Amino acid sequence: MFHWLEKNPFFFAVAVFVVIAFAGLVEILPNFAQASRPILGAKPYSTLELTGRLVYIKNNCNGCHSQLIRPFKSETDRYGHYSMSGEYAYDRPFLWGSKRTGPDLMRVGNYRTTDWHETHMKDPVAVVPGSIMPAYTWLFKNIADVDTAYAEQLTVQKFFAVPYNTELPMADGSKVTVALADTLEGARASALEEAKVVAADMKDQAVKDAVAAGQVPEIVALIAYLNRLK
Amino acid sequence: MNKTVLAAIIVTIAMLGFTYAAVEMAGGLDKLIKDGDWVNMLAILGAVILVIATTFVVTKYVRQMQNDTASGKLAEETWDGIGEYKNEPPFGWFVLYLIMIIWAIWYFLAGYPVNSYSQIGEYNQKVAEHDVKFNEQYKDMDDETLKEMGGSIFIVQCAPCHGLQADGINGQAADLTARISEKSVKYVVLNGSNSNLMGTSMPMPDRNGLLNSNTSALITDAEIDAVSKYVAGGLTGTEGADVFAGTCAACHGADGKGMEMVAPNIAQMSPEMVGMVLNHGKKGAIGAMPAFTNLTEVQHKAINAYVASLSQK
Ligand code: HEC
Ligand code: HEC
Ligand code: HEC
Repeated sequence: MFHWLEKNPFFFAVAVFVVIAFAGLVEILPNFAQASRPILGAKPYSTLELTGRLVYIKNNCNGCHSQLIRPFKSETDRYGHYSMSGEYAYDRPFLWGSKRTGPDLMRVGNYRTTDWHETHMKDPVAVVPGSIMPAYTWLFKNIADVDTAYAEQLTVQKFFAVPYNTELPMADGSKVTVALADTLEGARASALEEAKVVAADMKDQAVKDAVAAGQVPEIVALIAYLNRLK
Repeated sequence: MNKTVLAAIIVTIAMLGFTYAAVEMAGGLDKLIKDGDWVNMLAILGAVILVIATTFVVTKYVRQMQNDTASGKLAEETWDGIGEYKNEPPFGWFVLYLIMIIWAIWYFLAGYPVNSYSQIGEYNQKVAEHDVKFNEQYKDMDDETLKEMGGSIFIVQCAPCHGLQADGINGQAADLTARISEKSVKYVVLNGSNSNLMGTSMPMPDRNGLLNSNTSALITDAEIDAVSKYVAGGLTGTEGADVFAGTCAACHGADGKGMEMVAPNIAQMSPEMVGMVLNHGKKGAIGAMPAFTNLTEVQHKAINAYVASLSQK
């Protein structure tokens, strides 16, 4: 058999491919399984949420926080249901993280609120005595990069068929449509609308003023993202 | 004598010589024995064995390269004149391969699918076991244990907002050591309340629906201030008492302890009230409180009792 293969370069190449591809196939094929399709209730990120996600990545929050709840009782007691692969369908890249200096944030939107995040991000020890999480004061001053988030939205819609402007079924039977604007101006406007909702629950006057003046401080985008983690 | 063997002997002697010199520099073998320095004596032994073994093996293979002639059957095909021997695998190996291939097929088709280990399965099993044990152990808790359990849940789930002292951390969340703050009462009277505090959506009207029967007019700003202070003060004192009797008592009862299916207890924090807040969340004068649906029934009972006890004097 082997001697025969050696004399037939074409089939030899095919055999090499099969042997090498086997391990790959074992890893890749399961990802097409039902369990890895977007789970019922998964929806793409809105413009402001995605902007916040970029802020999260930029500040390397994933260096200290995981977003992956393992199926252990101790974890599900604290954070909620264990993570399922279909929940990450619209995460690019995944922010699973590999180190928990701080707690998992996969479902932090369920048990923390806008005003709590505001206080905590400005001064973590104000609400958690002895916290070693750094204070992120600059997020209150920096203006978020909505344009890049919009570009990313357009890209994933085009290349990965992420269902924007599509009715998606939710777990409770309702339908949700995540809108994606046609133009950059439209995207900026819709991000600002979302930002107003978040800012209404915030206390920092400078942030409120900035949003009223049509700007989106990074903290507002970040909180929109954190609230959406459920 | 063969040149290779001669070289090997010379190298061996030289290396052993180095080893000897190194030992001498460290004080000599006598000193090592006298000190009982086993670690270094073992190291010397290792060095000697290493030197001899290395030269022996190297010599053997160099000699083989010098003397060996090719033998065996050539494969038919050659590449540019370069041929290859037919080299069948040894019989023992062949059998092992065969067994492994058969096992792999079995594992792929039957072994894994049938007996597959599932992490989720193990999780479900563990949780079910734990729940049974937990419910059994804490079936009839006395008040002390109940509050103790509630206290530890509070530290994990509630303290980040309500504070370890349950005082609400300077207005971050409701101060649970008192029934309700003046600010909150005022907010409710001004804006009404629709937080499912009765278990269903049963809103309390805002000021435009609150008639003071003493004056037969809508409640006024001054009356709102007075009654807010009165309620926040635990329904004690005289100021605002008349407003309360005339406006609020119809629903909340003369003592403020509420009426079933009508209005909640605003005189004291009751365990039922805490339960409602946990089930539905709440948004009010202070901020938003998320709903907590991740707790078991027993844990709910515990945290409700604990929180209610915080403001009981
Ligand atoms: C140096 C490591 C570190 C970094 C970087 C970090 N955190 Fe944290 N974080 C912590 C620790 C430790 C805690 C737990 C103590 C606390 O709540 O403050 C925490 C807690 C939190 C919590 C509360 C979670 C809970 O369950 O109570 C949130 C939300 C959070 N961090 C968000 C962020 C965000 C957003 C960023 C990036 C801007 C970030 N963190 C960056 C260490 C870090
Ligand atoms: C028509 C009946 C009615 C009247 C009159 C009424 N309430 Fe209420 N009140 C309710 C109901 C029902 C709720 C629960 C609403 C909910 O589910 O959020 C409530 C809730 C409240 C709460 C919120 C308790 C909490 O813990 O958040 C306060 C405070 C309160 N009432 C104070 C007053 C005061 C003060 C007055 C008189 C000025 C008054 N109420 C008059 C029916 C009434
Ligand atoms: C994300 C922060 C947050 C967490 C976590 C939280 N709370 Fe609250 N809670 C609040 C806020 C804010 C309020 C005030 C709502 C308002 O404005 O009336 C509140 C109000 C309450 C009230 C109602 C007080 C009243 O007078 O009506 C109760 C009871 C309560 N919380 C219990 C709990 C318990 C028990 C837990 C833990 C299982 C918990 N809370 C966790 C933020 C939080």
